[in-house]
Amino acid sequence: MIRLRDVNKTYKGNVVALRDVSIDIAKQEFVFVVGPTGSGKSTMIRLLIKEEKPDSGRIWVAGKDIGQLSSWKVPLLRRNIGCVFQDFKLLPSKTAYENVAFALEVIGRPPHVIKQQVPQVLDLVGLTKKRDHFPNEMSGGEQQRVSIARAFVNRPLILLADEPTGNLDPSTSVGIMRLLDRINRTGTTVVMSTHDSSIVDTMRRRVIELDRGVIVRDQARGVYGVNA
Amino acid sequence: MAVNLEYVVRETVSNLKRNLSMASAALLTVAVSLTLVGGALLVKKGVDRATVQWKGNVELSIFMNAAASQPESEAIDRQLKSMPEVKNYRYVSKPEAFEEFKQIFANEPDVRESLTVEQIPPSYRVVPREAEQTKIVGQRFEDTAGVFRVSYAKEEVDALVSVTNFLQIMLWGIAAVLLTAASLLILNTIRMAIFARRREVAVMKLVGATNWFIRIPFMLEGLLQGLAGATLAFGVVWIGRDLVQARISGARNDIQLFKQFLVTSADVTSTGILLLVVGVVVGTVGSALAVSRFLDV
Repeated sequence: MIRLRDVNKTYKGNVVALRDVSIDIAKQEFVFVVGPTGSGKSTMIRLLIKEEKPDSGRIWVAGKDIGQLSSWKVPLLRRNIGCVFQDFKLLPSKTAYENVAFALEVIGRPPHVIKQQVPQVLDLVGLTKKRDHFPNEMSGGEQQRVSIARAFVNRPLILLADEPTGNLDPSTSVGIMRLLDRINRTGTTVVMSTHDSSIVDTMRRRVIELDRGVIVRDQARGVYGVNA
Repeated sequence: MAVNLEYVVRETVSNLKRNLSMASAALLTVAVSLTLVGGALLVKKGVDRATVQWKGNVELSIFMNAAASQPESEAIDRQLKSMPEVKNYRYVSKPEAFEEFKQIFANEPDVRESLTVEQIPPSYRVVPREAEQTKIVGQRFEDTAGVFRVSYAKEEVDALVSVTNFLQIMLWGIAAVLLTAASLLILNTIRMAIFARRREVAVMKLVGATNWFIRIPFMLEGLLQGLAGATLAFGVVWIGRDLVQARISGARNDIQLFKQFLVTSADVTSTGILLLVVGVVVGTVGSALAVSRFLDV
């Protein structure tokens, strides 16, 4: 589903973000990407949705070499990938329902499909009652649920989550993780970067550890700390 | 590209409503700038027309001696009649010339009182067929008996034309500068409006909206703002022209120069249409350019 080969990325001022990174992630896998701040986790996610281009190396997503992808096809790539961020990235002027519906509208889905799918996914994330609330009327956990609903409403092949629990307290985080786990069970490949060791230790999934742009560990059913 | 119309209309309307202050800022910028551009263009048209009239009426005056005899005067009359180069001519008698003289010096009683009807020279006002023939026609009368002096209006018109030519170039320049300033102001206003909504654009990109899909509501918004602003400018220019025209024809002035400064309704309409086109183009293209900055993949 996702394959990186010898990917290098250096930012201005010789800041190395990724160095010779090669990864294979299979369909339906759930992968944690861990490592300290600045280790290249976010860069990896940005490369996958082609928000950044690698300096060298090749990247395949859903069987397609995205380096070969012409720029007008990038939106089509992104429709196969749902994204969830630490800061939610919700539109403050739209309600929960409208935020989710927006994702379908902008890819040209017809109204009857939107009317059917949005309530379904809001039910899945447990926000049916809050559907007409604006983001500033909801807790952080609820906002993150809306953002997950938005990422998942299009049934993407892949869900990328960049520190989705970074702004949430532990008990709220558990709820978000249950949700991501459930989405993974529907067949969606989930890649999640995180700092949260307790989550990684509880879930016992594949762990890829980055340190200053280099993969230092790739472990099935791993934990957060190296020596744990 | 499947863009659903309902979405575009709804999105445009709600964006305009939500960003009312920004939208009105853009609209007013368009209106003010285009009003200035339209005003400059209309003044230019008026000057053009006045110049054409002056050029078309190039005349020479054959002033007779105040004491010239009847036969001398009739001889000139016959000669003018027989010349093919002369388009038409008119005899200005002593009393008529005296009236003219009194008008010209209406505010200067000293000068007005200094001459009597008998001292004023009568004259022939001659309009040649071609402006270039003025000199040739005039020269024939310079040494004729009873002629006091031949004077050419051309010299004055030439001076006037060179002034208006300069004026026209200046007005073109002003209109061009104003138009550039207007375009930049509009572009900037739209860019600010879009900058305020870059989050929205980022989210749209994130969920896989195509660039055209993101652009279209912004462009439609720019188009509406440009159109509304230009319409406002059109109205202001129209009313302004009516006011100026009413002043000119209402004031009982004897200054032909101003009466010839005429701006027709057709002028205003064509200028207005130009303003509308400019407003729409600048609004639409400006929005497209402004939003493109946030669309780089």
